[in-house]
Amino acid sequence: MDKHMNRRECLTAIGLSGLTAGLGLTGAPASHAQGVGESSGFQSSVIDAHNVQDTRTAATIVDGKVIQPQRELPILHQTDVLVVGGGSAGVVAAIAARRAGASVTLVERYGHFGGLWTGGLVVLIIGHIVKGGKQVCQGIGEEMMRRLDKLDGAIIDRRPGVNPTVDAEAAKYMMVEMIEEAGIDVFLHCWGVDAIVTENTVRGVVFESKSGRQAILARTVVDATGDGDLFAAAGAEFEHRSHNVGLVSRIGNLDRVDAEKARQAPKPKHLGSATPVPGVNWVNLTGPEVDGLDIATLTRMEMNHRKFIWNNVQRTRQTPGYEKVYLVETAPQLGVRITRVLNGLNRVRLSDLRNATKFPDVVGVGGSSAATHGEWQIPYGALVPTKVDNILAAGRCISVDMGMADLVRLVPNCFVTGHAAGVAAAVAVKDNCRPRDVDIAKVQKILRQQEAYLG
Amino acid sequence: MSHFADLNGQSDRTDTAGLRHIRWLVRCLSLVAAILVLLAARQSRWPVLVPALSPFIAVGSLLATRVVVATACLGLGVGFIAMLRPRWFCRWICPLGLCVDTASRLGRRCGRNPAKRFSPGRWIVLLTLAGACLGYPLLLWLDPLAVFSGAFGITGSRTGWLMALPLFLVLTTSFVWPQIWCGRACPLGTFQDVLSHLARYARTKREGPSPERWNPALARRTVLGVAAGATLAAITRSSQSSGPRPLRPPGAIDEPEFRGLCVRCGNCIRACPTHIIEPSLGHHGLAALLTPVLHFKENYCLVDCTKCMAVCPSGALVRLSPQDKGLKPIGLPRVDMSSCLLAEGRECTECRRWCPHAAIRYAWSETEYTLIPEIDSRKCTGCGACEAACPTKPNKAILIAAMEKKAGG
Repeated sequence: MDKHMNRRECLTAIGLSGLTAGLGLTGAPASHAQGVGESSGFQSSVIDAHNVQDTRTAATIVDGKVIQPQRELPILHQTDVLVVGGGSAGVVAAIAARRAGASVTLVERYGHFGGLWTGGLVVLIIGHIVKGGKQVCQGIGEEMMRRLDKLDGAIIDRRPGVNPTVDAEAAKYMMVEMIEEAGIDVFLHCWGVDAIVTENTVRGVVFESKSGRQAILARTVVDATGDGDLFAAAGAEFEHRSHNVGLVSRIGNLDRVDAEKARQAPKPKHLGSATPVPGVNWVNLTGPEVDGLDIATLTRMEMNHRKFIWNNVQRTRQTPGYEKVYLVETAPQLGVRITRVLNGLNRVRLSDLRNATKFPDVVGVGGSSAATHGEWQIPYGALVPTKVDNILAAGRCISVDMGMADLVRLVPNCFVTGHAAGVAAAVAVKDNCRPRDVDIAKVQKILRQQEAYLG
Repeated sequence: MSHFADLNGQSDRTDTAGLRHIRWLVRCLSLVAAILVLLAARQSRWPVLVPALSPFIAVGSLLATRVVVATACLGLGVGFIAMLRPRWFCRWICPLGLCVDTASRLGRRCGRNPAKRFSPGRWIVLLTLAGACLGYPLLLWLDPLAVFSGAFGITGSRTGWLMALPLFLVLTTSFVWPQIWCGRACPLGTFQDVLSHLARYARTKREGPSPERWNPALARRTVLGVAAGATLAAITRSSQSSGPRPLRPPGAIDEPEFRGLCVRCGNCIRACPTHIIEPSLGHHGLAALLTPVLHFKENYCLVDCTKCMAVCPSGALVRLSPQDKGLKPIGLPRVDMSSCLLAEGRECTECRRWCPHAAIRYAWSETEYTLIPEIDSRKCTGCGACEAACPTKPNKAILIAAMEKKAGG
C-alpha cells in the first residue's frame, strides 16, 4: 500500500514538473546519480529491479482488438541527461555531458557499446579527414582514436590524411573503460520504446527490457538511437527515408592465400579490406535500398545477406589459392544506414557544403568519405526539433538533406554530433533552460575546452 | 590590287608626320584596350568584341551558319568602312598589326628582306569563303584578331598557353620575312582589299563604261580558289579522326562544322569559371587542333553558366539560355564497373551526391550483390559533376562521353 502511494506521488510530481519545466528535478546536477535508489526526489518510488515483473498486466482482446491495458510504469532511475543509444554518437554524447558536469545515464539496446561502429563492424573511420589532409574530428572522437592507438595493434593506419581502421573488439573495450572513468550510469539490454511527454516537453523515456517496461526520468534527453525512435515517439517532425541495408562480415586466413596458385584465376569478388587483425579482412555489403524500419524487410535482409555471405565465401574457397579463407563472423547488427531524419530548426545541407557556409551556431565540423571535398559545418539547429522540447538528436538521425545524409551517418561525424548534443544537453540542464534556448557561446566554449574542432 | 602592296611603306608615304604620330598613338591605345578587354574574359562578355570586329569572321560565319548574330554587325560595319576607306582598320585599329610591325622592324634591322613573290592571303580568303558556303569555313581561324585573342589563352587552362602558338608563328614569320603578314598573308587585310576592290568596281560601273577590264587571270584564280576551297572543305569536313568524338563546350554546333567555324580565339577557354575548357592538342585529329574541348578532371560545367557561349565570336557556340543548355546535353556519363568502388561493395556516394540534376541512382543487383550506378538520360545534361567528383584513381569510374548524335542538334 505504501508503495502504491509513493508511485502516485511520483506521477503527480511528473505532472508538476511539466508545469515547472524541469525546475530542480534532481537537485544537484553536478553530482552524478550514485545508482538505483540514491538520487534525490523519488527514492522511494524507484523499484527494486528484481520486482518489476509484478507490475505487468497482460494485453487482452476487447471487441476483437488487442488492447494494452493502462498501467503505471516503475521509475527505474532519474538523471540530468539521458542518452538513448550507445552507438558512436550516444557514447560520445554521454561522456561529453558528464564531463560538462551533468549526471548522465546511458541506455543501450545491445550488450556492448559502439552500435554500428562495433556491432555493425563499420571499422573504417571514414570522414575523419577532409581534402588537404586536415583532421576535422577532434575532441572525444580523437581521444578514442588515441586510446585505441595505445591498445596495441588496434589501429593499423593513422598516417596523416588517411582514415583510420580500428578493431571492433578493441573499440568495445575502450568504450567500457571511458564510460566507467567518466562515471556514467549505464543500462544495457534496454530498448528505448517511448518518450514521456507533457505539454510537448520530454520528461524521460520508457524502455523495454528483460526486467519489463520501465521509465527513466530526465531533464534532457539525447536521441542517439540512429532511427530517431524517441523524437518520433515524442511527436517531433521527421522524414522517413529508404536507404541501403546491408551486412558486414569478416573473413580470415587471407595471409595464407597461395599467391602462386591465385594467379591462375581471376581474383574473387567481395574480399574486402584489411583490419588490424592479421589475415582478417572486413567485407562491406551495401544491400538494396529499403525501409529500415519495416520488420519484415529487416528480417528478409538478415536472412538474404547471411545466405549470400556464406555462399560467397564458399565460392572464394573454390578459387585456386583461396582454399583456406573462411568466414570469421557476420556482424551482429544489420547495416541500416538511414531511416528517420529529424526536421530540425536548421538542417545540414549539400548547398552549404558547396558554399562552405559558416554558421554562427556551429557545434561541429564534418568530413567526407574519400577526402574529396572540404570541411562542412554542423549548425546546432540541426540537432533541435522544431516542436518538441527537452530532446536533442545526435548521430545519423539529425536534420539533414538527402545529399548530406551519407556524410552525416559516417562514424566520425556521429562522434562530432554526439559531442555537440552531449555538451548542449548539459548546458541546458545547468542553465535550467530548454535546449533550443541554450547559450550557444557557452556550448561552443565547453566544446572547445573539450578539444572539439569548430572550424 | 595595289593594296596588297607594302602597307607600312604606303601609309608612311601618304601620311603627314603629325598624322603618323596620332595614328601611332591610336594604334597603341587600341592594342592596350584589346588586351584589357580580353583579360576581362571571366568578368564580362566583352572579349567577344575583339574577334567580332573582323569582317572576315563575320562574313565567314554568316555564310557557314546562315544566322546573323548581334556581334556580327560589328564586323559587317568594319567591312563597310573598309569599302570606303581601304585598309582603314589595319592602319588605325588592328592590335596584331602593331605587334607585327614591331617584329618586321626588328627583322629589317637584322638585315632580313621582305619576300616579294608569295601572297597566300587571297588564297586563304578564297578557300575559306568557298568552304563557308558549304558550312565549313576552312581557314577562318587564321583571322588576325582570332590569332591575337588566342594568345591570351595563357590565362585560361593549364595547356592554354599553346593557344599562343599561331601568334608566335605570325610574329616569327614577320621577323623572317618582314611585312609578309600584313601585306600578303593576313586574310583580314586581303578581305578588306577585296571589299574595297568590289566597291570601286561597283562605283566605276555606275559612273560609266568600266575602265577596269575583265581580268582573266583574276577570274581563273577565283574559280580555282573557290573550287579548291569547296573540295578541301568537303574533304576536311568528312574526315573523321579515329579517336572518340571530342567533348565540346555547351551550345557547340555539330561536329564537322564546329571544327571549321571555331576561330580558335580562346575566348571560351578564358571565360570558363571552372577551367574545364582546354585546347585540343591534336588527339582529336589535326583538323581539330586548338579547338576547345572539355575535361572534367577537377570541375564541371556549372548549371547556370553561359559564359563560354557569350564570348564566342563565330557562332561555333550557339548562345543558349541555362534552361536550353540543359536540353542539349554535352555528353552522357559511362560507368566503368571495373574501377567503380561500388563494385567492390565500398561506401561511395560521390557521383550521386554531386549530380545537380539528381540523374544518378544506385540500383541493386541481386546477381552481383552490389550497387550499380544508373544514369537517367532524360535528366542528365552531361555537365560532368559526376566525373569531377569520382574519387577513383588513376582512372575515373564515371566518364562523360560525347554522344554519337546530338539530341535536337
